[in-house]
Amino acid sequence: MTAGVSQSRTIGHAEKVMGTVVSFVVHPGALSAAAVRSALARACRTLHEADETFSTWKPQSPVSRLRRGEATVDELPTDVATVLGLCERAKAASAGWFDPWAMPGGVDPTGLVKGWAAERALAELVQSGVPAAMVNAGGDLAVHDRPAPTEPWRVGIRHPWRVDALACVIEADAAVATSGAYERGEHLIDPHSGRPLSKAASATVTGPSLAIADALATALVIAGEGEIGFVTALDGYDAYVIGPDGSELASDGIRFAPSA
Amino acid sequence: MGSMGRVVLLVVTAVVGLVAVLSFHTSTPQLALATAGQPASQRKQQPKAAATSASPSGSSNSIVLVTRSAVGASEQYGYGALSVRVTVRGNRIENVTVNGLQTAEQYSQQLAAQVIPTLHSEVLAAQSARINGISGASYTCQAYALSVQSALDKLHV
Repeated sequence: MTAGVSQSRTIGHAEKVMGTVVSFVVHPGALSAAAVRSALARACRTLHEADETFSTWKPQSPVSRLRRGEATVDELPTDVATVLGLCERAKAASAGWFDPWAMPGGVDPTGLVKGWAAERALAELVQSGVPAAMVNAGGDLAVHDRPAPTEPWRVGIRHPWRVDALACVIEADAAVATSGAYERGEHLIDPHSGRPLSKAASATVTGPSLAIADALATALVIAGEGEIGFVTALDGYDAYVIGPDGSELASDGIRFAPSA
Repeated sequence: MGSMGRVVLLVVTAVVGLVAVLSFHTSTPQLALATAGQPASQRKQQPKAAATSASPSGSSNSIVLVTRSAVGASEQYGYGALSVRVTVRGNRIENVTVNGLQTAEQYSQQLAAQVIPTLHSEVLAAQSARINGISGASYTCQAYALSVQSALDKLHV
């Protein structure tokens, strides 16, 4: 077995949390495998903490208590106020197409929490000295640095209806989030009407923050490509939308990887 | 809406599937195999060959590679559970087969039957495609990847 000693060997991990799988790719650099493992353990702990705080399925979670009106934001962990602040930002940035306050059953920040939690897990790895890493929270990805000095992170975008293919491959330097009308159990609700709606087959948003990208991707798949301007108006954010007819629209900051 | 000027209309035809790969983070270590023993700074010259190599076992070095296999953990994927058997030659994935699949309802069974054969080729393709992850992947894909990973862990790949 020669490959095990390769200097470019990465360390992978997959964690079941938040109703999905969060997978990690870590380039250890000068860190020992044990140091990476303990960094991964800390990163996973932040994910489970986020799940405990924000789960709308756990009746005793702080967010569930908030939804039932049993507690105010001030009485809950500060993460709740942080996330709701990001939700306000995403709501304003998306002209209300992302609106956790318009969800049935009370305020529901779920559409932003997965991205926020993945971003925090990545920050934990970086703080631990990891030189380059990718966190993939059920299809929403945050990356740090690059897999190699001249090599960008390459992210395939799931094809909305072909299971054997990707729609495209893009190069990522921070966050990539995709929302699609394809996954069962995905409740895409038009906040303006309260009814299920998805004008696009798939919407991908890239940008500096995965929390914001996650929320905007959800907003954009509901709103459709006609509303792509709310993403591109934000500094550093770009979008790639696949319409129900298979048409593709991308803002010019999306960097498509040359196909192999 | 001056920002709309930034928007470029790309293609107004059917979405073209360029590459068939799966979100599967061992793809990077697998890729690294092609350059095993080389300093990271030289890796960039190698992946082109890896990307165009159609054969999953294409290797001209003289090391004798052993073929081994292991069954990955049974992973819940929201609509059921699945586990895979992974066969490797050396550190390269040679094959992935479904070892167990349980679904609660017929629809899920049909869905899985539709998705899984293609995931198989995606895992193999991921070894030659330069992809680090996939955005928008389904629960099914994630569970498949998780089971593949646990099999690879057992094989110490």
